[in-house]
Amino acid sequence: MVQLTLPKGSAPKKGKTWPKPEGKKVKKFKVYRYSPEEGGNPRWDTYFVDMDQCGPMILDVLIYIKNNIDSTLAFRRSCREGVCGSCAMNIGGQNTIACTRGWEEIAGPHITIAPLPHQPVVKDLIPDLTNFYAQHAYVQPFLKTDTPEPEKEWTQTEEERELLDGLYECILCASCSTSCPSYWWNGDKYLGPAALLQAYRWLIDSRDEATGERLDDLEDPFKLYRCHTIMNCAQVCPKGLNPAKAIAKIKHMMVERVA
Amino acid sequence: MTTSAKSVRGLGSAGAGTQHHIRQRVTAVALLFLVPWFLYSIIVACKAGYEGALTWVAQPVNAILLILTLSAALYHMRLGIQVVIEDYIAKSGTRQALLILNTFAVIALAAATILSVLKIWFTAGA
Repeated sequence: MVQLTLPKGSAPKKGKTWPKPEGKKVKKFKVYRYSPEEGGNPRWDTYFVDMDQCGPMILDVLIYIKNNIDSTLAFRRSCREGVCGSCAMNIGGQNTIACTRGWEEIAGPHITIAPLPHQPVVKDLIPDLTNFYAQHAYVQPFLKTDTPEPEKEWTQTEEERELLDGLYECILCASCSTSCPSYWWNGDKYLGPAALLQAYRWLIDSRDEATGERLDDLEDPFKLYRCHTIMNCAQVCPKGLNPAKAIAKIKHMMVERVA
Repeated sequence: MTTSAKSVRGLGSAGAGTQHHIRQRVTAVALLFLVPWFLYSIIVACKAGYEGALTWVAQPVNAILLILTLSAALYHMRLGIQVVIEDYIAKSGTRQALLILNTFAVIALAAATILSVLKIWFTAGA
């Protein structure tokens, strides 16, 4: 059966509440904490941040907490402008990247911050995305051709290039795949929205000559057809992409080649 | 220990899935027409009482459309339940057993319902 409850030792418990500072604009944050070295269950630590001292984004809040309140908090971040995809996490119940989500956008008395759902946790807000990256590698996200390479470059018309819009912008933050219930239940076999969006990006590339082989690799009840158009992927994508639509188009190509 | 590439590749692509996808949609299109007809007709037939309902089923056009409705609905159901089983039952032995059970149950339902329609059709007025 699908596992509907958390495995033993995974349910978060109440953690430490850090002191509340003085200030007019103090906001409460509940942050998921887990450290494999310490062992035990994960916990929800409560932090209070004076928002007059802090930048507008959730990533600013996390950096503020790490610099001023609790230096043991672990999270990934790099570009702080929505390009690298490192700081993807579950904020206020929705997967997104912390650097482009403003704390004022999230309603409610407090804001919860947790790692991406249904992935092993390395520490605190850092998920282990090994499987996710292997799935991306599975779709062979690079140009494959048999025709000898032209002297200058592979050319493309403007229209052909436009087909890649809405696909190439993916930053592989994993927000979509880890928001998908089908990926939660069958993430070992279902490739997930992020990998399939990339698969489609190469399937419709006018220069790529491996379309048939690419479709062969996806022709599988689990790898592709676990998508049940739940649409969480399109809902959460911080870049505004629509992986569900790309998956639907792969299915169209599959049908087109048999009928 | 296995590498992540090995576990993602698994047993390789099954080379199947599109037929299931097509059949589910084709039966859905058929049901789009058959189900409204069925609902409308069953209400009219029921108003005519037991004897009236029997006479209704015994009319060849109704009997044929009833058999088509049952076939499309049960096949569509088999495909749908198959997806539910594949989604939620991770253990391969259990999954395969349930998939077989699903097929058996649908064939049994098809035999029982279609033969009932045929019986009424062939024996009415006899």
